[in-house]
Amino acid sequence: MIRKLLQTALRTTTHDAQFAENGVQGLALIERMRPDVVFTDVAMPEMDGFEMADAVRARPELAHIPIVFMTASAQRDQIEECFRHGAAGHLAKPFTMSELRARVALYARS
Amino acid sequence: MRILPRSLHFYVAASTIYAALVFLAVQWIYSIQLAESGLVIARRDTGDVLSAIQNVSFVVWLGISLIAAVVLHRLGKAFAEARSEGDQKEQVLGSIFGLSSALAGPLDLEEIGRRFLSTVRGALDSEVTVALIVYDDVLEAFRTIAADGPMGADLHGQTYSASALPAIIRTRVIDHRRSLILSNTGTDADTWAKLSHDMPQVASARSFGALPLVSRDRLVGALLLLSGRAGALVPDRVQVPMIMGQYVAASIHTALSVSEAEARAERETMVNRVAQRARASLDPDEILRATVEELARVLGVSRALVALGETEDDLSVSYEWNAAGVVPVGIGSRGIPTAQLAARLGRTVVVSDIREDPRFAQAFAAGSTQRDAIAVAATPIRVGGKLAGALSFAQIGQPREWSAEDISLMEAVAQELRVAIASAEAFAQQRRVVTELEALNRAKSDFVSVVSHEFRTPLTGIQGFSEMMRSDDLTLEEMREYAGDINKDAQRLNRMINEMLDLDKMESGRMPLHHDPVDLNAVSGECADRVRPNAPTHSLTLRLDPDLGMVLGDRDKLVQVVANLLNNAVKYSPKGGEIVLATRAEGETVHLLVRDHGMGIPGEALQSIFERYGRVESRATRYIQGTGLGLPIVQQIVLLHGGKVWAESTVGEGSIFHVTLPRAVARPLAAAGIAS
Repeated sequence: MIRKLLQTALRTTTHDAQFAENGVQGLALIERMRPDVVFTDVAMPEMDGFEMADAVRARPELAHIPIVFMTASAQRDQIEECFRHGAAGHLAKPFTMSELRARVALYARS
Repeated sequence: MRILPRSLHFYVAASTIYAALVFLAVQWIYSIQLAESGLVIARRDTGDVLSAIQNVSFVVWLGISLIAAVVLHRLGKAFAEARSEGDQKEQVLGSIFGLSSALAGPLDLEEIGRRFLSTVRGALDSEVTVALIVYDDVLEAFRTIAADGPMGADLHGQTYSASALPAIIRTRVIDHRRSLILSNTGTDADTWAKLSHDMPQVASARSFGALPLVSRDRLVGALLLLSGRAGALVPDRVQVPMIMGQYVAASIHTALSVSEAEARAERETMVNRVAQRARASLDPDEILRATVEELARVLGVSRALVALGETEDDLSVSYEWNAAGVVPVGIGSRGIPTAQLAARLGRTVVVSDIREDPRFAQAFAAGSTQRDAIAVAATPIRVGGKLAGALSFAQIGQPREWSAEDISLMEAVAQELRVAIASAEAFAQQRRVVTELEALNRAKSDFVSVVSHEFRTPLTGIQGFSEMMRSDDLTLEEMREYAGDINKDAQRLNRMINEMLDLDKMESGRMPLHHDPVDLNAVSGECADRVRPNAPTHSLTLRLDPDLGMVLGDRDKLVQVVANLLNNAVKYSPKGGEIVLATRAEGETVHLLVRDHGMGIPGEALQSIFERYGRVESRATRYIQGTGLGLPIVQQIVLLHGGKVWAESTVGEGSIFHVTLPRAVARPLAAAGIAS
């Protein structure tokens, strides 16, 4: 549902948005696509958002890519955990589409 | 002349001289009177008649004088007697006052005894032996604190157990508090034989007295009087010692109270120290440690230990303290003979030299844990009337006389320990309750965060799609699609709220249930059809027993049970795999099971997953959506239907959830009719 929401929200922009099912697929997608920005959930099957972020940070050629976590909680400890895993930003659910679009505009080059 | 008292000689002589003088005077006056009247009586001539008269009157005078002498003598004697009696009374009173001033001020018992004897001595013949015996609470015996007189040496230092006192003394003197005087032990031969048999130290007495010492209604002791001379002690003669006895009784009472108070104060100081050290921690082990060390230090023993256990044979060493160079008994050791004996008897046991005590000869010789001990002592610790353990002490290498103070200290500390152990247990219990409450509280806040997490995701959808519908240019078709998405999310929120409310209702017994015949096979099929679209990577197999029969229940709720179990099977086997839903008739029950090949459940969580908020939280389950209410709801519904639910699982291989429900026995055909 969130994926569909993001897809719909970004549909009207010029950005090329690609989606993955879980952390493993996400990592593969990042490698292949080298995106300007990654939006990820924390809770995902196979490999969660934090593990994926760690894997991205561990790869010098990918380490520069900003990662924005979408969390279901705005609690301080969870936000702090996001930044410990190298987050460039953080979106707490429920977030507005304008927030999302503003974040995309901030990081996307085109 | 020797039969006459000396004082009478004086009176006889005096009255004889007086009679002679009166006679001569009368004679002389007669002769003058006769001469004046002209009559001259020739002494010698007419003397016959006159001298006869004169002789008679002389004898009469002499008689009167003698009678007067005797009367005067009697009077004088009576007067002197009266005077001397007064003097004696004065003397006795003086000595009583002297005693009372001698006994003023705080004195110890021995000093009281000495002062008393030196005073009472003066009121008694020197042949009488006096002994002062005082009741000692700790010894439970009468102890001689002072003895003086010919037989004093025999009585000195003697103790007489209260129960072993001669019966006549026990009943008459101790119980009834009356004095016992045997003036002549020969005449009361029977009584005396019995008395001297029980009290051989006094056997040589020929006259015996025992006077109770009572102060403020408390019998503090007795005064023993003995004499080697029969008849030396009669009730009249013991008046003074009896009065003095009351004075000394008051002093003894005070001294006893003071020494009792001092002993109490000393014990309290020690016990307070124990309590202070124990207060630093409410840990029972720490209390034992502090107590044993403190007590060992105060008693100056070589070894002190606490053995805990609820029976004599269970007693095992929980903590021990050993002086430098003393070999430890060992924590957990059993078979401490004194501790066991104290536990068995339920009272303090002291042995000053075990080599001379037959009770321990065997125990200590046969490889006892305390075989190096010479003097031993132990006191039981009882909590709530039941044995909890024993304190045991040992003196290594040398005998030791355990004093009454030692014993009362051990007992007082055992008492404190009892209280401390009980309160530490209460504290531990309280702590468990607090821990449980904290866990519950944590579970609640975890639940709130889980719920808020679960609520936020649909809320994001609702908010996001409606935002786009409001501000983006959308076609009617897109509008409809997004409205449908919003609707789905709203339904999801509604379902979650309902689940929470349902569980709450069921747990508080406010959930009304239908009791209709339900075909679980039909329910299973329906649920499987519902779940399949959401589980494309799973193969869902149904193995339904065609002869299952019916269960009586609420169809909607049973659908919820099966759906929840199937949804869980799908959710917790994220890699897919086979899911089996099977039903079986088993006698009076219907058995339904759901097996998956998912991540499995750790053994320790197999129970707690059915508790509210009891979801297994781990890295592997974090992404799996759920409120943690699914299984609690399943359990509540099954319980309300009189059934059972449980799980078995192997981590990494999968889980099986079992539900059994009572089978509806009556009218299967009719029931089938209704169900269809």
